[in-house]
Amino acid sequence: MHSVIQRGNSILAYALSVLACLTFICFASTVFLNYVTDVKINTVKVVVKNVPDYSISREKNDLGFLTFDMQADLTPLFNWNVKQLFLYLTAEYETPSNELNQVVLWDKIILRGENAALDFKNMNTKYYFWDDGNGLKGNKNITLSLSWNIIPNSGLLPNIFARGSHSFKFPVEYTTSRM
Amino acid sequence: MDFLSRIPTHMDFEGQARAEKLSRIIITLFGAVGLIWGYIVQQFSQTVYILGAGFVLAALLTIPPWPMYRRKPLNWQPAKNGGENQVKEGSKKGKKK
Repeated sequence: MHSVIQRGNSILAYALSVLACLTFICFASTVFLNYVTDVKINTVKVVVKNVPDYSISREKNDLGFLTFDMQADLTPLFNWNVKQLFLYLTAEYETPSNELNQVVLWDKIILRGENAALDFKNMNTKYYFWDDGNGLKGNKNITLSLSWNIIPNSGLLPNIFARGSHSFKFPVEYTTSRM
Repeated sequence: MDFLSRIPTHMDFEGQARAEKLSRIIITLFGAVGLIWGYIVQQFSQTVYILGAGFVLAALLTIPPWPMYRRKPLNWQPAKNGGENQVKEGSKKGKKK
């Protein structure tokens, strides 16, 4: 502490130690919180087509189209250790060739301060619902479920599965008309 | 340059102790208040800003050698005429080498 530089160094080091301590307290105050809430998902229009996926090969694969309704109030999930939520909607189903297929159809980032009370009507999916064969036509049990990542200021990056999912069937006939 | 060398930069020993104690108290206090306030408004950034304000305040109050840290200078004994001894020691060392 005998020179200006040394005093500056000592104060800065102490301030940063305090900051680390405060950050840890922030982490510890939120680590045991429960981030699971309810969500209501419903499909509106479900169509399956059989078209070639030129990005992979010229073979024809099943391509599903669907629109969905979703209601969820995610406002309670935000606290001082949540910077943003990354929501994603997953379709999960079984085909003869694969026991488990998971396709992410839609996602959304909700920043802190944005409206987190979601009420979507007749939303289109963001990504193509390709199957790697012909597993979608007439498939009787496709389950849509919502999950989210919590991006914190400090600490863990939890992956949460929402309570509530929706199962639907694909039609037994391909749709050939343009939509 | 003469002007620069006349700027005082040192504290006395008690002043150093007081400066360190004061800076620790200020930063800890601002950190604690910032934590409570940040928790109330649920904004961790507020906590960080308040701690930063505490750091700036502590830096202003304790880094420059203000007169309050220089009240008890050491009472050095007046310099004695020891110049000859030093010269002799210096010359002995020189011979050994």
